Amino acid sequence: MKKKIIAAALALALALTMAACGGSSSSSSSAAASSDAAGSTAAVEGLKEAFAESPILLTSGGQSADYQMIGTVMSKLGMDCTVNNLATSADLGDAKTLIVVAGGSSKGLGAAGIDADGELARLTELLDGAKEKGLSIIVMHTGGEARRGDLSDKFIAPCFEKADYAIVVAAGDSDGLMSGLCAENGIPMDSINSISDVTTVLPAAFK
Amino acid sequence: MDKSKKMISAVVCLALSVAVMAASASSFLAARNVPLPERGPSVTEVKMLSDWFEGVKGTNADTPVYVLQGKKEGGKMLILGGTHANEVSGYMSAFTFIENAVVEEGTVYVLPYANHSAMTHNDPGEGNIQYFTLTTKSGERTFRYGSRATNPVDQWPDPDVYVHYPSGQQLSGSETRNINRSYPGRPDGNATEKEAYGIMELIRSEGVNIGFDLHEASPEYPVIDATVAHQSSMDVASVGCMNLLMEGMQMSLEQSPTNFHGLTHREWGDNSDINVAILMETANASQGRLRGATTIAQVLGGKDKCYDLSEKLGMLYVPWNQITGAPFSGVGHPIEERCGRHLEGIKQYSEAYNEAHPEAPVTYTGVPGYSELFLEADPSELGGARLASFLL
Repeated sequence: MKKKIIAAALALALALTMAACGGSSSSSSSAAASSDAAGSTAAVEGLKEAFAESPILLTSGGQSADYQMIGTVMSKLGMDCTVNNLATSADLGDAKTLIVVAGGSSKGLGAAGIDADGELARLTELLDGAKEKGLSIIVMHTGGEARRGDLSDKFIAPCFEKADYAIVVAAGDSDGLMSGLCAENGIPMDSINSISDVTTVLPAAFK
Repeated sequence: MDKSKKMISAVVCLALSVAVMAASASSFLAARNVPLPERGPSVTEVKMLSDWFEGVKGTNADTPVYVLQGKKEGGKMLILGGTHANEVSGYMSAFTFIENAVVEEGTVYVLPYANHSAMTHNDPGEGNIQYFTLTTKSGERTFRYGSRATNPVDQWPDPDVYVHYPSGQQLSGSETRNINRSYPGRPDGNATEKEAYGIMELIRSEGVNIGFDLHEASPEYPVIDATVAHQSSMDVASVGCMNLLMEGMQMSLEQSPTNFHGLTHREWGDNSDINVAILMETANASQGRLRGATTIAQVLGGKDKCYDLSEKLGMLYVPWNQITGAPFSGVGHPIEERCGRHLEGIKQYSEAYNEAHPEAPVTYTGVPGYSELFLEADPSELGGARLASFLL
Protein backbone atom coordinates (compact mmCIF):
# COMPACT_ATOMS: atom_id res chain seq x y z
CA MET A 1 0.00 0.00 0.00
CA LYS A 2 2.83 2.32 0.97
CA LYS A 3 4.48 1.64 -2.37
CA LYS A 4 1.26 2.46 -4.22
CA ILE A 5 0.94 5.79 -2.44
CA ILE A 6 4.58 6.67 -3.22
CA ALA A 7 4.09 5.70 -6.88
CA ALA A 8 0.93 7.81 -7.13
CA ALA A 9 2.71 10.76 -5.52
CA LEU A 10 5.62 10.44 -7.94
CA ALA A 11 3.24 10.25 -10.92
CA LEU A 12 1.45 13.36 -9.70
CA ALA A 13 4.75 15.20 -9.25
CA LEU A 14 5.79 14.22 -12.80
CA ALA A 15 2.48 15.42 -14.22
CA LEU A 16 2.83 18.74 -12.41
CA THR A 17 6.38 19.17 -13.74
CA MET A 18 5.18 18.59 -17.30
CA ALA A 19 2.31 21.04 -16.85
CA ALA A 20 4.77 23.64 -15.60
CA CYS A 21 6.96 23.17 -18.71
CA GLY A 22 3.95 23.58 -20.97
CA GLY A 23 2.86 26.69 -19.14
CA SER A 24 6.14 28.47 -19.53
CA SER A 25 6.49 27.81 -23.26
CA SER A 26 3.04 29.04 -24.12
CA SER A 27 3.60 32.34 -22.40
CA SER A 28 6.81 33.23 -24.24
CA SER A 29 5.49 33.77 -27.75
CA SER A 30 6.99 36.78 -29.44
CA ALA A 31 4.15 36.89 -31.98
CA ALA A 32 1.59 36.90 -29.17
CA ALA A 33 3.44 39.71 -27.49
CA SER A 34 3.42 41.72 -30.64
CA SER A 35 -0.31 41.27 -31.13
CA ASP A 36 -0.86 42.38 -27.54
CA ALA A 37 0.99 45.55 -28.46
CA ALA A 38 -1.77 46.52 -30.88
CA GLY A 39 -1.69 50.16 -31.81
CA SER A 40 -4.46 52.71 -31.98
CA THR A 41 -7.30 52.12 -34.40
CA ALA A 42 -7.67 55.85 -35.07
CA ALA A 43 -8.31 56.73 -38.72
CA VAL A 44 -5.32 57.54 -40.87
CA GLU A 45 -5.42 59.47 -44.13
CA GLY A 46 -3.67 58.66 -47.36
CA LEU A 47 -1.31 61.04 -49.15
CA LYS A 48 -3.20 63.86 -50.85
CA GLU A 49 -0.46 65.52 -52.89
CA ALA A 50 3.09 64.93 -54.03
CA PHE A 51 5.70 66.41 -51.72
CA ALA A 52 9.00 64.59 -52.20
CA GLU A 53 11.87 65.36 -54.56
CA SER A 54 14.84 63.56 -56.04
CA PRO A 55 17.64 62.69 -55.49
CA ILE A 56 16.75 59.92 -53.07
CA LEU A 57 18.76 58.02 -50.48
CA LEU A 58 17.30 54.57 -49.81
CA THR A 59 18.26 52.68 -46.67
CA SER A 60 17.13 49.80 -44.51
CA GLY A 61 15.53 50.05 -41.11
CA GLY A 62 16.48 46.74 -39.55
CA GLN A 63 18.52 45.19 -42.40
CA SER A 64 15.82 42.99 -43.89
CA ALA A 65 16.28 42.56 -47.63
CA ASP A 66 13.03 44.44 -48.27
CA TYR A 67 15.06 47.58 -48.99
CA GLN A 68 16.80 45.73 -51.82
CA MET A 69 13.46 44.79 -53.32
CA ILE A 70 12.31 48.41 -53.12
CA GLY A 71 15.62 49.38 -54.74
CA THR A 72 14.82 46.97 -57.57
CA VAL A 73 11.35 48.49 -57.99
CA MET A 74 12.73 52.03 -57.99
CA SER A 75 15.41 51.12 -60.45
CA LYS A 76 12.76 49.65 -62.79
CA LEU A 77 10.73 52.83 -62.37
CA GLY A 78 13.79 54.87 -63.33
CA MET A 79 13.83 56.76 -60.02
CA ASP A 80 17.09 58.54 -59.13
CA CYS A 81 18.14 56.64 -56.06
CA THR A 82 21.28 55.85 -54.09
CA VAL A 83 21.08 52.65 -52.03
CA ASN A 84 23.07 52.42 -48.80
CA ASN A 85 21.87 50.00 -46.15
CA LEU A 86 24.29 51.38 -43.58
CA ALA A 87 23.87 55.09 -44.37
CA THR A 88 24.48 57.66 -41.66
CA SER A 89 23.83 61.42 -41.76
CA ALA A 90 27.27 61.80 -43.36
CA ASP A 91 25.92 59.97 -46.42
CA LEU A 92 22.93 62.26 -46.98
CA GLY A 93 24.93 64.34 -49.48
CA ASP A 94 22.61 66.25 -51.79
CA ALA A 95 19.66 63.91 -51.22
CA LYS A 96 16.30 65.62 -50.86
CA THR A 97 14.36 62.55 -49.79
CA LEU A 98 15.26 59.74 -47.43
CA ILE A 99 13.40 56.45 -47.81
CA VAL A 100 13.66 53.95 -44.96
CA VAL A 101 12.31 50.43 -45.49
CA ALA A 102 11.58 49.11 -42.01
CA GLY A 103 11.84 45.46 -41.08
CA GLY A 104 14.25 43.53 -38.92
CA SER A 105 16.20 40.48 -39.99
CA SER A 106 18.70 38.66 -37.84
CA LYS A 107 20.32 37.25 -40.98
CA GLY A 108 20.44 40.74 -42.51
CA LEU A 109 21.96 42.23 -39.38
CA GLY A 110 24.55 39.46 -39.46
CA ALA A 111 25.23 40.11 -43.14
CA ALA A 112 25.64 43.83 -42.45
CA GLY A 113 27.89 43.21 -39.45
CA ILE A 114 25.77 45.24 -37.05
CA ASP A 115 23.59 44.32 -34.08
CA ALA A 116 20.05 45.49 -33.39
CA ASP A 117 21.10 48.19 -30.93
CA GLY A 118 23.74 49.49 -33.33
CA GLU A 119 21.16 49.54 -36.13
CA LEU A 120 18.73 51.47 -33.98
CA ALA A 121 21.42 54.01 -33.06
CA ARG A 122 22.33 54.39 -36.76
CA LEU A 123 18.72 54.96 -37.74
CA THR A 124 18.15 57.51 -34.98
CA GLU A 125 21.24 59.45 -36.02
CA LEU A 126 20.30 59.27 -39.71
CA LEU A 127 16.68 60.29 -39.22
CA ASP A 128 17.67 63.17 -36.92
CA GLY A 129 20.26 64.29 -39.48
CA ALA A 130 17.70 64.13 -42.29
CA LYS A 131 15.17 66.14 -40.25
CA GLU A 132 17.82 68.74 -39.47
CA LYS A 133 18.72 69.09 -43.15
CA GLY A 134 15.06 69.40 -44.10
CA LEU A 135 14.82 66.21 -46.16
CA SER A 136 11.46 64.59 -46.81
CA ILE A 137 11.27 61.23 -45.05
CA ILE A 138 9.29 58.32 -46.42
CA VAL A 139 9.06 55.17 -44.30
CA MET A 140 7.86 51.89 -45.78
CA HIS A 141 6.98 48.51 -44.32
CA THR A 142 6.60 46.09 -47.18
CA GLY A 143 7.40 42.71 -45.66
CA GLY A 144 3.86 42.00 -44.45
CA GLU A 145 3.13 39.67 -41.56
CA ALA A 146 6.46 37.88 -41.92
CA ARG A 147 8.30 41.10 -41.12
CA ARG A 148 6.69 41.62 -37.71
CA GLY A 149 7.67 40.33 -34.30
CA ASP A 150 10.02 41.51 -31.59
CA LEU A 151 13.00 42.31 -33.84
CA SER A 152 11.09 44.15 -36.58
CA ASP A 153 8.87 45.98 -34.12
CA LYS A 154 11.94 47.42 -32.46
CA PHE A 155 12.57 49.54 -35.57
CA ILE A 156 9.02 50.43 -36.51
CA ALA A 157 8.13 53.16 -34.01
CA PRO A 158 11.47 55.04 -34.19
CA CYS A 159 11.17 55.18 -37.99
CA PHE A 160 7.46 55.86 -38.37
CA GLU A 161 7.37 58.62 -35.77
CA LYS A 162 9.79 60.67 -37.88
CA ALA A 163 8.14 60.05 -41.24
CA ASP A 164 6.46 62.61 -43.47
CA TYR A 165 4.69 59.81 -45.31
CA ALA A 166 4.30 56.08 -44.82
CA ILE A 167 3.56 53.17 -47.14
CA VAL A 168 2.54 49.88 -45.53
CA VAL A 169 1.61 46.45 -46.89
CA ALA A 170 -1.70 45.83 -45.12
CA ALA A 171 -0.94 42.27 -43.99
CA GLY A 172 1.84 43.61 -41.79
CA ASP A 173 -0.46 46.03 -40.02
CA SER A 174 -3.30 43.77 -38.98
CA ASP A 175 -2.85 44.88 -35.36
CA GLY A 176 -2.93 48.57 -36.36
CA LEU A 177 0.53 49.31 -34.97
CA MET A 178 1.70 51.38 -37.94
CA SER A 179 -1.62 53.01 -38.78
CA GLY A 180 -1.89 53.87 -35.08
CA LEU A 181 1.53 55.54 -35.07
CA CYS A 182 0.66 57.49 -38.23
CA ALA A 183 -2.72 58.58 -36.87
CA GLU A 184 -1.19 59.72 -33.58
CA ASN A 185 1.52 61.71 -35.34
CA GLY A 186 -0.64 63.10 -38.18
CA ILE A 187 1.39 61.27 -40.81
CA PRO A 188 -0.36 60.38 -44.09
CA MET A 189 -0.19 56.64 -44.75
CA ASP A 190 -1.19 54.54 -47.73
CA SER A 191 -2.00 50.91 -47.13
CA ILE A 192 -1.29 48.61 -50.07
CA ASN A 193 -2.04 44.94 -50.70
CA SER A 194 1.34 43.88 -52.00
CA ILE A 195 4.86 45.18 -52.45
CA SER A 196 4.11 45.34 -56.17
CA ASP A 197 1.63 48.17 -55.48
CA VAL A 198 4.62 50.32 -54.54
CA THR A 199 4.94 50.99 -58.27
CA THR A 200 1.83 53.18 -58.12
CA VAL A 201 1.92 54.81 -54.69
CA LEU A 202 5.62 55.67 -54.43
CA PRO A 203 5.97 57.66 -57.69
CA ALA A 204 2.80 59.57 -56.71
CA ALA A 205 4.63 60.98 -53.69
CA PHE A 206 7.21 62.69 -55.90
CA LYS A 207 6.68 66.13 -57.47
CA MET B 1 11.93 -28.22 -11.82
CA ASP B 2 12.51 -24.66 -10.79
CA LYS B 3 15.78 -24.64 -12.64
CA SER B 4 14.21 -25.98 -15.79
CA LYS B 5 11.47 -23.31 -15.65
CA LYS B 6 14.11 -20.62 -15.42
CA MET B 7 15.94 -22.17 -18.36
CA ILE B 8 12.77 -22.12 -20.45
CA SER B 9 12.15 -18.47 -19.54
CA ALA B 10 15.71 -17.59 -20.49
CA VAL B 11 15.46 -19.36 -23.83
CA VAL B 12 12.13 -17.68 -24.61
CA CYS B 13 13.52 -14.25 -23.70
CA LEU B 14 16.61 -14.88 -25.79
CA ALA B 15 14.52 -16.03 -28.75
CA LEU B 16 12.31 -12.95 -28.46
CA SER B 17 15.36 -10.68 -28.28
CA VAL B 18 16.87 -12.30 -31.36
CA ALA B 19 13.53 -11.91 -33.18
CA VAL B 20 13.30 -8.21 -32.27
CA MET B 21 16.92 -7.70 -33.30
CA ALA B 22 16.37 -9.49 -36.60
CA ALA B 23 13.26 -7.46 -37.37
CA SER B 24 15.03 -4.19 -36.42
CA ALA B 25 18.12 -5.06 -38.43
CA SER B 26 16.02 -6.00 -41.43
CA SER B 27 14.10 -2.70 -41.21
CA PHE B 28 17.35 -0.75 -40.72
CA LEU B 29 19.07 -2.41 -43.67
CA ALA B 30 16.00 -2.05 -45.89
CA ALA B 31 16.28 1.73 -45.46
CA ARG B 32 19.43 1.57 -47.58
CA ASN B 33 17.32 0.82 -50.64
CA VAL B 34 16.53 4.42 -51.40
CA PRO B 35 13.86 4.93 -54.09
CA LEU B 36 15.01 6.91 -57.11
CA PRO B 37 13.19 9.21 -59.55
CA GLU B 38 12.00 7.91 -62.90
CA ARG B 39 13.74 9.34 -65.95
CA GLY B 40 11.84 12.35 -67.24
CA PRO B 41 11.87 13.65 -70.84
CA SER B 42 15.12 15.63 -70.54
CA VAL B 43 17.18 13.21 -68.45
CA THR B 44 20.16 12.31 -70.63
CA GLU B 45 22.35 10.71 -68.02
CA VAL B 46 22.32 9.58 -64.39
CA LYS B 47 25.79 10.07 -63.00
CA MET B 48 27.13 9.69 -59.46
CA LEU B 49 28.73 12.35 -57.31
CA SER B 50 31.87 10.22 -57.38
CA ASP B 51 32.20 11.15 -61.07
CA TRP B 52 33.23 14.58 -59.75
CA PHE B 53 34.98 13.46 -56.57
CA GLU B 54 36.42 9.96 -56.41
CA GLY B 55 36.69 10.15 -52.62
CA VAL B 56 33.03 9.22 -52.07
CA LYS B 57 33.02 6.25 -54.47
CA GLY B 58 31.68 3.05 -52.94
CA THR B 59 30.45 4.83 -49.81
CA ASN B 60 27.01 5.78 -48.59
CA ALA B 61 27.92 9.42 -49.27
CA ASP B 62 27.92 8.81 -53.05
CA THR B 63 24.65 9.97 -54.55
CA PRO B 64 22.92 10.03 -57.95
CA VAL B 65 23.13 13.17 -60.08
CA TYR B 66 20.44 13.48 -62.74
CA VAL B 67 21.68 15.38 -65.79
CA LEU B 68 18.99 17.12 -67.85
CA GLN B 69 20.57 18.32 -71.08
CA GLY B 70 18.83 21.12 -72.95
CA LYS B 71 18.13 21.22 -76.68
CA LYS B 72 20.48 24.22 -76.95
CA GLU B 73 23.68 25.18 -75.19
CA GLY B 74 23.34 27.56 -72.27
CA GLY B 75 24.09 28.01 -68.61
CA LYS B 76 24.25 25.42 -65.83
CA MET B 77 21.75 25.04 -63.02
CA LEU B 78 22.00 22.88 -59.90
CA ILE B 79 19.05 21.76 -57.76
CA LEU B 80 19.56 20.00 -54.42
CA GLY B 81 16.79 18.08 -52.74
CA GLY B 82 17.38 16.05 -49.60
CA THR B 83 20.05 18.19 -48.02
CA HIS B 84 18.02 17.33 -44.95
CA ALA B 85 16.34 14.02 -45.69
CA ASN B 86 13.41 14.71 -43.38
CA GLU B 87 12.43 17.84 -45.33
CA VAL B 88 10.06 16.17 -47.72
CA SER B 89 9.20 19.01 -50.08
CA GLY B 90 12.90 19.40 -50.91
CA TYR B 91 13.40 15.94 -52.39
CA MET B 92 9.85 15.61 -53.70
CA SER B 93 10.34 18.88 -55.63
CA ALA B 94 13.56 17.40 -57.04
CA PHE B 95 11.65 14.24 -58.10
CA THR B 96 8.92 16.39 -59.71
CA PHE B 97 11.48 18.47 -61.59
CA ILE B 98 13.39 15.42 -62.87
CA GLU B 99 10.24 13.63 -64.02
CA ASN B 100 8.61 16.63 -65.76
CA ALA B 101 11.15 19.17 -66.97
CA VAL B 102 11.77 19.70 -70.65
CA VAL B 103 15.00 21.67 -70.72
CA GLU B 104 15.22 24.00 -73.70
CA GLU B 105 18.52 25.79 -73.04
CA GLY B 106 21.43 24.89 -70.79
CA THR B 107 21.97 21.93 -68.47
CA VAL B 108 20.33 21.15 -65.16
CA TYR B 109 21.94 18.89 -62.55
CA VAL B 110 19.53 17.56 -59.93
CA LEU B 111 20.54 15.68 -56.78
CA PRO B 112 17.38 14.26 -55.20
CA TYR B 113 19.39 13.27 -52.13
CA ALA B 114 22.17 15.75 -51.47
CA ASN B 115 22.97 13.87 -48.27
CA HIS B 116 22.37 10.30 -49.40
CA SER B 117 23.48 8.80 -46.11
CA ALA B 118 20.85 10.82 -44.22
CA MET B 119 18.13 9.15 -46.30
CA THR B 120 19.23 5.68 -45.11
CA HIS B 121 17.98 6.10 -41.53
CA ASN B 122 15.51 8.22 -39.61
CA ASP B 123 15.21 9.74 -36.16
CA PRO B 124 13.38 7.14 -34.03
CA GLY B 125 13.47 9.47 -31.03
CA GLU B 126 11.31 11.89 -32.99
CA GLY B 127 8.68 9.23 -33.63
CA ASN B 128 9.08 9.93 -37.34
CA ILE B 129 7.62 7.86 -40.14
CA GLN B 130 9.95 5.82 -42.34
CA TYR B 131 7.99 5.58 -45.59
CA PHE B 132 5.00 7.01 -47.41
CA THR B 133 3.23 5.84 -50.53
CA LEU B 134 1.74 7.81 -53.41
CA THR B 135 -0.35 6.57 -56.31
CA THR B 136 1.43 8.07 -59.31
CA LYS B 137 0.83 7.69 -63.05
CA SER B 138 2.53 4.29 -63.00
CA GLY B 139 0.87 3.05 -59.81
CA GLU B 140 1.92 2.93 -56.18
CA ARG B 141 5.38 4.25 -55.40
CA THR B 142 6.97 4.28 -51.96
CA PHE B 143 9.16 7.14 -50.80
CA ARG B 144 11.46 7.46 -47.81
CA TYR B 145 11.42 9.85 -44.90
CA GLY B 146 14.96 10.19 -43.63
CA SER B 147 16.92 12.18 -41.10
CA ARG B 148 18.39 15.67 -40.91
CA ALA B 149 21.87 14.23 -40.46
CA THR B 150 24.27 11.66 -41.90
CA ASN B 151 23.68 8.08 -40.72
CA PRO B 152 25.88 7.43 -37.64
CA VAL B 153 26.84 4.11 -39.24
CA ASP B 154 28.69 6.19 -41.83
CA GLN B 155 30.10 8.77 -39.45
CA TRP B 156 30.48 8.26 -35.75
CA PRO B 157 31.01 9.39 -33.00
CA ASP B 158 30.07 13.07 -32.94
CA PRO B 159 32.57 15.31 -31.18
CA ASP B 160 31.40 17.54 -28.31
CA VAL B 161 32.09 20.58 -30.45
CA TYR B 162 31.96 20.70 -34.24
CA VAL B 163 34.73 22.89 -35.66
CA HIS B 164 33.87 23.94 -39.21
CA TYR B 165 36.57 23.70 -41.83
CA PRO B 166 38.11 26.08 -42.86
CA SER B 167 36.52 28.92 -40.83
CA GLY B 168 37.06 27.40 -37.38
CA GLN B 169 33.45 28.26 -36.47
CA GLN B 170 32.27 26.20 -33.50
CA LEU B 171 28.86 24.56 -33.35
CA SER B 172 27.19 21.78 -31.40
CA GLY B 173 28.84 18.40 -32.02
CA SER B 174 25.70 16.95 -33.67
CA GLU B 175 26.08 19.48 -36.52
CA THR B 176 29.15 17.52 -37.67
CA ARG B 177 26.73 15.29 -39.58
CA ASN B 178 24.73 18.18 -41.06
CA ILE B 179 25.82 18.69 -44.67
CA ASN B 180 24.41 22.20 -44.61
CA ARG B 181 27.05 23.14 -42.05
CA SER B 182 29.85 21.29 -43.85
CA TYR B 183 30.48 23.27 -47.04
CA PRO B 184 32.91 23.81 -48.68
CA GLY B 185 34.00 20.45 -47.30
CA ARG B 186 37.38 18.83 -47.76
CA PRO B 187 38.66 15.80 -49.67
CA ASP B 188 40.19 14.18 -46.59
CA GLY B 189 37.41 15.04 -44.14
CA ASN B 190 34.61 12.99 -42.64
CA ALA B 191 31.83 11.49 -44.79
CA THR B 192 29.67 14.64 -44.65
CA GLU B 193 32.57 16.95 -45.49
CA LYS B 194 33.53 14.68 -48.40
CA GLU B 195 30.00 14.78 -49.79
CA ALA B 196 29.93 18.59 -49.46
CA TYR B 197 33.31 18.74 -51.19
CA GLY B 198 31.97 16.54 -54.00
CA ILE B 199 29.08 18.94 -54.57
CA MET B 200 31.51 21.88 -54.58
CA GLU B 201 33.61 20.02 -57.17
CA LEU B 202 30.53 19.54 -59.35
CA ILE B 203 29.76 23.27 -59.10
CA ARG B 204 33.34 24.29 -59.86
CA SER B 205 34.14 21.84 -62.64
CA GLU B 206 30.82 22.21 -64.49
CA GLY B 207 30.79 26.00 -64.02
CA VAL B 208 27.35 26.04 -62.41
CA ASN B 209 25.75 29.48 -62.75
CA ILE B 210 22.70 29.18 -60.53
CA GLY B 211 22.08 26.81 -57.65
CA PHE B 212 19.12 26.00 -55.43
CA ASP B 213 19.04 24.17 -52.10
CA LEU B 214 15.50 23.17 -51.08
CA HIS B 215 14.55 23.01 -47.41
CA GLU B 216 11.68 22.92 -44.97
CA ALA B 217 11.42 24.33 -41.45
CA SER B 218 9.03 24.39 -38.56
CA PRO B 219 6.19 26.91 -38.68
CA GLU B 220 7.50 28.53 -35.49
CA TYR B 221 10.90 29.28 -37.11
CA PRO B 222 11.25 32.93 -38.22
CA VAL B 223 12.94 32.22 -41.57
CA ILE B 224 10.03 30.44 -43.21
CA ASP B 225 8.32 30.78 -46.60
CA ALA B 226 11.61 32.49 -47.27
CA THR B 227 14.57 32.71 -49.60
CA VAL B 228 18.13 33.16 -48.36
CA ALA B 229 20.69 34.33 -50.93
CA HIS B 230 24.41 35.05 -51.06
CA GLN B 231 25.15 38.77 -51.26
CA SER B 232 26.35 38.39 -54.86
CA SER B 233 22.92 36.96 -55.72
CA MET B 234 20.78 39.69 -54.18
CA ASP B 235 20.08 41.64 -57.37
CA VAL B 236 18.70 38.55 -59.11
CA ALA B 237 17.02 37.35 -55.93
CA SER B 238 15.29 40.72 -55.42
CA VAL B 239 13.82 40.62 -58.93
CA GLY B 240 12.77 36.97 -58.55
CA CYS B 241 11.20 37.59 -55.16
CA MET B 242 9.29 40.61 -56.50
CA ASN B 243 8.00 38.44 -59.34
CA LEU B 244 6.88 35.74 -56.89
CA LEU B 245 4.99 38.33 -54.85
CA MET B 246 3.38 39.70 -58.00
CA GLU B 247 2.30 36.14 -58.82
CA GLY B 248 0.52 36.11 -55.46
CA MET B 249 2.93 33.79 -53.62
CA GLN B 250 4.16 35.19 -50.30
CA MET B 251 7.94 35.08 -50.00
CA SER B 252 10.42 36.95 -47.87
CA LEU B 253 14.03 37.46 -48.87
CA GLU B 254 17.04 37.34 -46.55
CA GLN B 255 20.69 37.98 -47.26
CA SER B 256 23.07 35.26 -46.13
CA PRO B 257 25.03 36.36 -43.04
CA THR B 258 28.72 36.61 -43.92
CA ASN B 259 29.84 35.20 -40.59
CA PHE B 260 27.71 32.04 -40.46
CA HIS B 261 29.65 29.32 -42.25
CA GLY B 262 29.06 25.94 -43.77
CA LEU B 263 25.74 26.67 -45.51
CA THR B 264 25.08 26.38 -49.23
CA HIS B 265 24.04 30.01 -49.73
CA ARG B 266 27.24 31.18 -48.01
CA GLU B 267 29.91 28.73 -49.17
CA TRP B 268 28.80 28.17 -52.78
CA GLY B 269 29.05 31.93 -53.28
CA ASP B 270 32.36 32.24 -51.44
CA ASN B 271 34.08 29.19 -52.93
CA SER B 272 33.03 29.08 -56.58
CA ASP B 273 32.17 31.33 -59.51
CA ILE B 274 28.45 30.63 -59.17
CA ASN B 275 26.34 33.70 -60.04
CA VAL B 276 23.29 32.91 -57.94
CA ALA B 277 23.21 30.79 -54.75
CA ILE B 278 19.76 30.43 -53.23
CA LEU B 279 18.19 28.43 -50.41
CA MET B 280 14.42 28.24 -49.97
CA GLU B 281 12.35 27.20 -46.94
CA THR B 282 8.76 25.99 -46.75
CA ALA B 283 6.63 25.33 -43.65
CA ASN B 284 6.43 21.70 -42.54
CA ALA B 285 4.43 20.73 -39.45
CA SER B 286 6.40 17.53 -38.99
CA GLN B 287 9.58 19.58 -38.42
CA GLY B 288 8.24 21.54 -35.49
CA ARG B 289 8.56 21.33 -31.74
CA LEU B 290 4.93 22.32 -31.25
CA ARG B 291 3.54 19.47 -33.33
CA GLY B 292 1.38 16.56 -32.37
CA ALA B 293 2.15 12.96 -33.33
CA THR B 294 4.07 12.63 -36.61
CA THR B 295 1.79 10.91 -39.09
CA ILE B 296 1.66 10.58 -42.85
CA ALA B 297 -1.38 12.88 -42.86
CA GLN B 298 0.70 15.48 -41.07
CA VAL B 299 3.80 15.02 -43.26
CA LEU B 300 1.89 15.13 -46.57
CA GLY B 301 -1.34 16.82 -45.59
CA GLY B 302 0.40 19.48 -43.57
CA LYS B 303 -2.36 19.51 -40.98
CA ASP B 304 -1.89 19.39 -37.24
CA LYS B 305 -4.30 20.29 -34.46
CA CYS B 306 -1.45 21.49 -32.29
CA TYR B 307 -0.54 24.01 -35.00
CA ASP B 308 -4.17 25.10 -35.28
CA LEU B 309 -3.91 25.99 -31.61
CA SER B 310 -0.43 27.48 -31.97
CA GLU B 311 -1.74 29.85 -34.64
CA LYS B 312 -4.53 31.00 -32.34
CA LEU B 313 -1.90 31.69 -29.67
CA GLY B 314 0.11 33.77 -32.14
CA MET B 315 3.14 31.49 -31.98
CA LEU B 316 3.72 30.97 -35.72
CA TYR B 317 5.58 32.90 -38.39
CA VAL B 318 3.34 31.75 -41.26
CA PRO B 319 -0.42 31.88 -41.69
CA TRP B 320 -1.54 28.36 -40.89
CA ASN B 321 -5.08 27.72 -42.02
CA GLN B 322 -5.65 30.56 -44.47
CA ILE B 323 -2.68 30.76 -46.78
CA THR B 324 -2.55 34.22 -48.35
CA GLY B 325 -4.08 34.14 -51.83
CA ALA B 326 -5.40 30.57 -51.58
CA PRO B 327 -9.00 30.06 -52.68
CA PHE B 328 -9.67 27.68 -49.78
CA SER B 329 -8.93 27.59 -46.07
CA GLY B 330 -8.33 24.96 -43.41
CA VAL B 331 -5.88 22.95 -45.51
CA GLY B 332 -2.75 23.61 -43.44
CA HIS B 333 0.43 23.43 -45.54
CA PRO B 334 0.03 20.36 -47.74
CA ILE B 335 2.89 18.89 -49.74
CA GLU B 336 1.43 20.45 -52.91
CA GLU B 337 1.74 23.95 -51.46
CA ARG B 338 5.28 23.26 -50.28
CA CYS B 339 6.53 21.68 -53.51
CA GLY B 340 4.61 24.31 -55.48
CA ARG B 341 6.50 27.03 -53.64
CA HIS B 342 9.89 25.45 -54.35
CA LEU B 343 9.19 24.80 -58.00
CA GLU B 344 7.68 28.27 -58.54
CA GLY B 345 10.71 29.74 -56.79
CA ILE B 346 13.08 27.89 -59.10
CA LYS B 347 11.11 29.17 -62.10
CA GLN B 348 10.98 32.83 -61.03
CA TYR B 349 14.55 33.04 -59.77
CA SER B 350 15.90 31.30 -62.87
CA GLU B 351 13.94 33.70 -65.08
CA ALA B 352 15.41 36.63 -63.13
CA TYR B 353 18.84 35.04 -63.61
CA ASN B 354 18.21 34.67 -67.36
CA GLU B 355 17.29 38.35 -67.58
CA ALA B 356 20.56 39.32 -65.87
CA HIS B 357 22.72 36.75 -67.72
CA PRO B 358 21.37 36.36 -71.25
CA GLU B 359 24.77 34.97 -72.32
CA ALA B 360 24.20 31.71 -70.38
CA PRO B 361 20.48 31.06 -70.06
CA VAL B 362 18.78 28.05 -68.49
CA THR B 363 15.21 27.64 -69.68
CA TYR B 364 12.73 24.82 -69.30
CA THR B 365 9.04 24.01 -69.50
CA GLY B 366 6.72 21.31 -68.22
CA VAL B 367 7.31 21.63 -64.47
CA PRO B 368 4.18 22.34 -62.42
CA GLY B 369 4.37 25.45 -60.25
CA TYR B 370 2.46 26.94 -57.33
CA SER B 371 -0.78 27.34 -59.29
CA GLU B 372 -0.83 23.91 -60.91
CA LEU B 373 0.11 22.07 -57.75
CA PHE B 374 -1.79 24.08 -55.16
CA LEU B 375 -4.02 26.98 -56.15
CA GLU B 376 -5.82 25.09 -58.93
CA ALA B 377 -6.22 21.89 -56.90
CA ASP B 378 -9.44 20.63 -55.45
CA PRO B 379 -8.95 20.59 -51.66
CA SER B 380 -9.72 16.86 -51.69
CA GLU B 381 -6.61 16.25 -53.83
CA LEU B 382 -4.26 17.95 -51.38
CA GLY B 383 -2.04 15.86 -49.17
CA GLY B 384 -0.34 13.82 -51.88
CA ALA B 385 -2.84 12.92 -54.61
CA ARG B 386 -2.35 16.13 -56.60
CA LEU B 387 1.45 15.91 -56.39
CA ALA B 388 1.33 12.23 -57.34
CA SER B 389 -0.62 13.11 -60.51
CA PHE B 390 2.54 14.86 -61.78
CA LEU B 391 4.87 11.95 -60.98
CA LEU B 392 5.62 9.15 -63.43
